[in-house]
Formats: sequence, C-alpha cells, structure tokens
Amino acid sequence: MSDIRRVMVIGLDCATPQFVFGSQRFDLPNLRALAEAGCWGRLESCHPPITVPAWACMTSSRDPGALGVYGFRNRKDHSYDAMFTANSTAIKVPRVWDLLSRAGKKVAVLGVPQTFPVRPVNGWLVSGFLAPDTNADYTYPKSLKTELTEAIGEYIIDVKDFRTNDKERLLQRVHELMENRFDAARYLVKNKPWDFFMMVEMGVDRLHHGFWKYCDRDHPAYAPGNPFEHAIRDFYQAVDRRIGELLACTDEHTAVLVVSDHGARAMHGGICVNQWLINEGLLTLAAPPSGRARIEDCEIDWSRTKVWSSGGYYARVFLNVEGREPRGVIPAAEYQAFRAELAARIEAMTDPDGKPLGNRALIPDETYQTVNGVAPDLIVYFGDLSWRSVGAVGFDSIYTFENDTGPDDANHDYHGIFIMKTPTGDNGAELKGLHLMDVAPTILQLMGVDAPNDFQGRPITAR
Amino acid sequence: MAGPQGIALRLTGHQAADTAAALVSRLHELGRRVECIDRESTEKVGTGAGFMCRLLARNGVIVIVTEPDIQLDCENCEVALDPNDTPEFAAEKVLDTLAEKGLVALELDDYSPEEEEQVRQRLSDLGYIE
Repeated sequence: MSDIRRVMVIGLDCATPQFVFGSQRFDLPNLRALAEAGCWGRLESCHPPITVPAWACMTSSRDPGALGVYGFRNRKDHSYDAMFTANSTAIKVPRVWDLLSRAGKKVAVLGVPQTFPVRPVNGWLVSGFLAPDTNADYTYPKSLKTELTEAIGEYIIDVKDFRTNDKERLLQRVHELMENRFDAARYLVKNKPWDFFMMVEMGVDRLHHGFWKYCDRDHPAYAPGNPFEHAIRDFYQAVDRRIGELLACTDEHTAVLVVSDHGARAMHGGICVNQWLINEGLLTLAAPPSGRARIEDCEIDWSRTKVWSSGGYYARVFLNVEGREPRGVIPAAEYQAFRAELAARIEAMTDPDGKPLGNRALIPDETYQTVNGVAPDLIVYFGDLSWRSVGAVGFDSIYTFENDTGPDDANHDYHGIFIMKTPTGDNGAELKGLHLMDVAPTILQLMGVDAPNDFQGRPITAR
Repeated sequence: MAGPQGIALRLTGHQAADTAAALVSRLHELGRRVECIDRESTEKVGTGAGFMCRLLARNGVIVIVTEPDIQLDCENCEVALDPNDTPEFAAEKVLDTLAEKGLVALELDDYSPEEEEQVRQRLSDLGYIE
C-alpha cells in the first residue's frame, strides 16, 4: 500500500451490477478498464437497501441498528406521530472522512447523503440532497458555496418535479443533475489539495425509478420500440465518460473505488399494506376514508389497532404494544409471539394469481448487532422487493398497479457494485462476499489510518 | 448574573494567523465576544498586552493570541496547530476544546419546521416515503 498517496471514491447511487458486470452489461470502457486492472464484485447492501441509511452504513462501517437509522423517516419515540428526517444530525459516529480529517488528511466530500447540516472537515464538503435548497448553507466552509457557484453555476440539489409523465423533460433534468455533480467533482478534484475525495451521483437512482419499464424487456409494462428504450444505457455511458474525465485528473499513486449503495430491479406493483392490515382486522380506522388517503391523515382507533405501517420501497411495520405505545393493546408478554406470527402471515401472502409473493419480514434484533433508537418492529420486503409498500388506504384491493405517488417502475435490490483499482493492480479479480460496511475499513487501510475497533466491516483486498 | 466565561488562548505553529481569523469568525457566529491579539495590537499596547489579555478573559472575552512573547500566565492555554489541518478545521478543533471546557456550546443547526416539510415532500415525490 506504500505507493498510495490519495484515494478517490466515486459513488453512484443505485448503480446495479447487471448493467456493469452482468450479462446485460453496457459498454462502459472506463469502468471496465478499472475493473480489469483492479478487482470488482457485487456489494451487498444493508437492510433496508435504501439510500438512507445505506451510504451512512458504508461510510461509518456500522449497520442501521448501530446507527439507529432505519430509513429516511424514523420514529422519535413510541408516540404515534413524532417522526424525524434522518439528516447528518442523526449520525452519531464518525464517518470515514471524519476519521481521515482527524488523522490530518485533507478531504473533499461531495453530494454524499446525510451530510446536511454540514459538519466541519479537514477540507471541503458539499452536502447531498437532504439540503432543503440552495439558500441553505450546504457547504463547508461556507465560502465554498460562492466559489463553487462561480465555477460551475448553481449547484443542483436534486431532480425537481420527479413525479411527472413528461419523460422527455425528466430525462433532461436527470442528465443535468449528473452533469452538474460531475462538474462540481472536477472542480474540487482539480482545485483542492485533497488526499481523499468522495462523491455520490444521484442521477442513476432517479433514472432507474423514472425509466425502468421503458428499458427492461421483462417488465410487464415494457413496450418494444418506445422512445426511451435506451435511456438507461445511454445514461450509464454518459456517466462512464464523466468518470473517465475524473480519472484523467488522478495519477498513478491514486487508488480509485467505484461503489453503489444498492442495486435496482423491476417493480411489478404495490401492496397496500395498511389496507391488508384493515382487512385482517389488525388496524381499525375511526371513520372509513371517503377516498384514498395517507394513513397519516386518517384517524386511527388505537383501542382496536394492533399494527400499522408506513409505505415506501419497503414497509416499516409497527406494533401497538401495551406499556410502550400510548394506547397499546398487545400485552407486552405476548409481543414476541405476536410479532413472529405476524411475520409468518406477511410471508404467507400471495399475489393476485394466488402464488406466493415471496415476502420477507425481517426482525430488527435478529438482523442487526444492536438496535438503537426506535426501530420498526418488522421491516418487510414485498415480493422480495419486486413490489413496493403502499401505505395509503381506501383501495378496493390490496394490490395496486398504480403508484401512490406517481410513475415509478423500479425498486431497490440487495446488491450494488464495487470496483477498486490500486496502484499495484489486482488483474481483474472478481471478489465474492463483499459488504457495503467493508468500504470504510478498506479506505482507511489504503490510507494507512487505523480503523476503530467497532467497525463492523473488514478491509477488502483481492483475497 | 454571571456572563459567559472567557479564556485566553495562544495558537502556535502552522497558519496560526489564518486559524485565528477562522476561529474569530466562528466564535462571532456562536455569539461570543472575542478579540484577536496579534503583532499589530501588541505593538500598540506594548508590555501591557499580557495584562490586557487576562483582563479581557476575566470579563468573559475569548482572547486569541498569535504572538509568542505575550505572557498569559495560565495552564493549558497553548494550542499547537497540526500542520496538516486547514485553518477552518484547526479552528473547529479549538472550538471542540472550548466546548469540552464548557466555554462554548456547539449545537448543530437542524431543519426549521418549514425546511423539514420541504424535505419530507421531496422524499415523498421521490418515492422514498409517503
């Protein structure tokens, strides 16, 4: 490792192995060259495999239980409606750039989720898409905001108006986001004396959710010859070209990692989880909704409710436990047995044709090393992530093929990508058994900095 | 009623002046009274600079000294800067030390209610939540 003087990490949110390594791989010359000269493999995500908490797990080498962060929105306590958005203040442990800062390394961090509000680093930080807007102080130091704006124009926090049927315009905006992020990356890489650089590009994720059905021949809604048939391929190739530009700014003493936090797969529909709970007699509304309604907007009869859930790409299922929730009804002594029975019922659910859906119901204290904060009682993947969780109520069926929030035809998948090229090279070795929590210890090892004892991952080498 | 406690600190080593400037800026943001005593101010005050620093500190001012010859007469008031740190990060490390001593309160600003709703709506639009 003595030849390594700098480490560059290029994060591509949701970049999925089948398009980079697999049989459906695109022609991506820069990523291929990195992999062939280094090592590569599928990178197992955390549970849930979602942007928040996945990037924080990757950069802190702790699982969501240790972080006490189980998704973007988390319960503050065991009341029914106190929630918080898991921004940087939710992460109570140092991330890899904090450790490197303390070791005297200069760091440049760009667009990594859960970095807003910004915290000081030994270098430069531009926060990710949890910044409210560009009026906020989204850089460290503050002066970097003006400097960056002068260099690249306004920093784009995220794609605006994502839920649209105007796909032409959406595709343009996703490209603009990606180009803007790489413009910022190139500026930092060329103008700051960094030892460690890390960026996360969000466009790949936005592209998958917005365009999957147009490109995946196996998706039920795929139409051959549609105008967006190659939108995903073309985007990956545009990203690859921008990666090539960044690599041209590095020298032979720079180790390069390309990583993603999770993959992607076709989404076939949604399971109306709260509607199912109502049908099963586990959730009771004080009054039936007049139409479709968010569960948060309904009055729940807590005295006759044992379970409720939040929707998203996965379901967070909560139990109404006596002595824990304000109006809990499940006796505490029966909690474990009730939860196990509920998990079994969820896993036994069938699809509209009566075939097993293949649901997975994870129990946090069996999934994580520790469980901090207020975890969901169950984390549920419908159809093993090929169906999303719809939390709204007022549906005639528990199955829906319309999205509750607008067009979206991809869900997340369990594996992202990992590519690493070090100055010594690894001859294109494919590595197995890689986990996203291995990334931070790998970076520290490359930079000769000791890892904390409570890291849950281990350094990746061409083993 | 007693106001906030002051202290006199001397920064030594790499980029002491730049670090002092960054520290003064951050302390102002935190609402603290702060004075930076550098070569120019020492020349104006002369041999009384050390006394002035101690007087200011006793009266709740955080005094940042970058001149080596001023007698501060206190324990643990010398801060050796790490040459690998940027001035801004070095200033944050000093702030951490001041916070450990209870001399400043470092609270990370969180969302305002409006910002939280703005972000929640975006996350809903993106499909992460409802």
